[in-house]
Amino acid sequence: MILSFEQVSISSREKTIVDNVSLSIGEGEWFALVGQSGSGKSLLSLAIGQMLSPNLKVNGKINFKGEDLLSLSTKQIRTIRGRKMSYIFQDYQGSFTPFRTIGQHLDEYQKAHGIRDGKIRRIKSIDALNSVGLDETLYNSYPFQLSGGQLQRVSIAMSLLLSPDLLIADEITTALDSVSGHRILELLAKRQQETGCTILFITHDWRHVRKYATRLAVMKEGAIIESGGKHRILDHPRHEYTKQLIQAAPILGQGLPSGLQEDGNG
Amino acid sequence: MNGSLRIPKMKKYSWQGIVAFIFLILLFVVAIYTFSYLQHDPNLTNLDERLQGSSLLHPLGTDQLGRDVLTRLLLGAQQTIGYSLLALIVALIIGVPIGLISGYKRGLVDRVFMRIADGFLAFPDTIVAIVLSGLLGPGIGNLVFAIILIKWVSYARLVRSTMLTESQKEYVLIARTNGLSPIKIIRKHLLPHIVGHVLVLASLDMGKIILLISAFSYIGLGVQPPTPEWGAMLNDSRPYFQSRPELMIFPGLAIVVVVLLTNMVGDYLRDHFDVKKEVQ
Repeated sequence: MILSFEQVSISSREKTIVDNVSLSIGEGEWFALVGQSGSGKSLLSLAIGQMLSPNLKVNGKINFKGEDLLSLSTKQIRTIRGRKMSYIFQDYQGSFTPFRTIGQHLDEYQKAHGIRDGKIRRIKSIDALNSVGLDETLYNSYPFQLSGGQLQRVSIAMSLLLSPDLLIADEITTALDSVSGHRILELLAKRQQETGCTILFITHDWRHVRKYATRLAVMKEGAIIESGGKHRILDHPRHEYTKQLIQAAPILGQGLPSGLQEDGNG
Repeated sequence: MNGSLRIPKMKKYSWQGIVAFIFLILLFVVAIYTFSYLQHDPNLTNLDERLQGSSLLHPLGTDQLGRDVLTRLLLGAQQTIGYSLLALIVALIIGVPIGLISGYKRGLVDRVFMRIADGFLAFPDTIVAIVLSGLLGPGIGNLVFAIILIKWVSYARLVRSTMLTESQKEYVLIARTNGLSPIKIIRKHLLPHIVGHVLVLASLDMGKIILLISAFSYIGLGVQPPTPEWGAMLNDSRPYFQSRPELMIFPGLAIVVVVLLTNMVGDYLRDHFDVKKEVQ
């Protein structure tokens, strides 16, 4: 097990948002966390890196490679962030500081993790750009000069820069059109095969789950209601809510309905 | 979307702004280097030569104590501009970091700092300056202290409000997930956002501070005689306004020009850093 949650609860002053979640994710898995917006999946993922805002309280244990992440000091967790685990988020436009070039971003994060030699950093940055199918000329570009798909590719390059063991991808295709989203996921799958990292994939899109995930968990209102192998859940969902979710998913391959009898399934 | 559409174009530089900028810098240089070509002792009284008109020896004449007006005006620039800059810079040094910290950290730190700031904000600046002069005695040091006490608040608040919105953005989150320390995030990813805002406010404040120092010197609470200062010079020449109005006009004009220049530069900087304009 590379990552396991033991009875993790996240609560604000008023209420409990994530309730007693226990999960474990094996090495090299593509683990999908599925649920509606507001079900607490993002908060759970942010808790892994101690990224939650200070007014939220986390209880329980999050074990990552034998260490309880929640008990680490700010300094210790900082050495893990970016190096052993990294995040990709939905909003590719906002993921980059507008007045810094792509190269500066890539360079800075390597520097922060102790890669002293500027030449090595540059070579690694350009390698990272190439590995996601981008040209090295983008090294000196500003974020606003790139398209959404390109930016999300850079995000992937950035997150895999220091070969982390765990990659947390939070709704990374939501803001992209379906073709670009598809390409990004293909790329992510390819990079996973090359690097062997574990992916915690947060999504509400069943098509992606069906195609890429190895195991998955379904979250509702802050609790895990069902988890297990992909085929088991997709083919034989036990929980009523999971059945509903699967039924609500748009199904491709059977053609898109003409919309004559639109009944709000989506 | 074509990326090239959003590349910031060369801005149209307004010539008024540039000119004001150049003049202001020129003025600073003159104020700083003025001691190297002084021909007269600014404080040497010579009652034989009092209230003279313009001559080769005294281009702007002499005042009621026979001191050279041009010399005193130049040295006055040093006092007025120097102390204004001092007050401004110290206010920046105090206000900006406080704003950065409370905007980034939020929570308790923010609340404590902002309540303190509110406390200072409750007093009008002139009142604080007068009270301080009353308590600590009149003098430029106390005046500068009072100005700092008042001015840092606006910088802290400005920086904080920018930080509050910027630090919520995703790139800060990304920087954090990549293991950057808060200091690095603030310095490299957030500070550049506020430089423009702060520069604009500072240049507009500069004029206000100059006026404040001159005004307080005029009523005798600022620079003490015989040190030349524009406000004090105005006050000194008041009795002679009927016979020698230029004694008041020159320092008055100097104040007007400097305040006008700093305000023009401020307006120019505001337009220059206006993000909305850039997007259009």
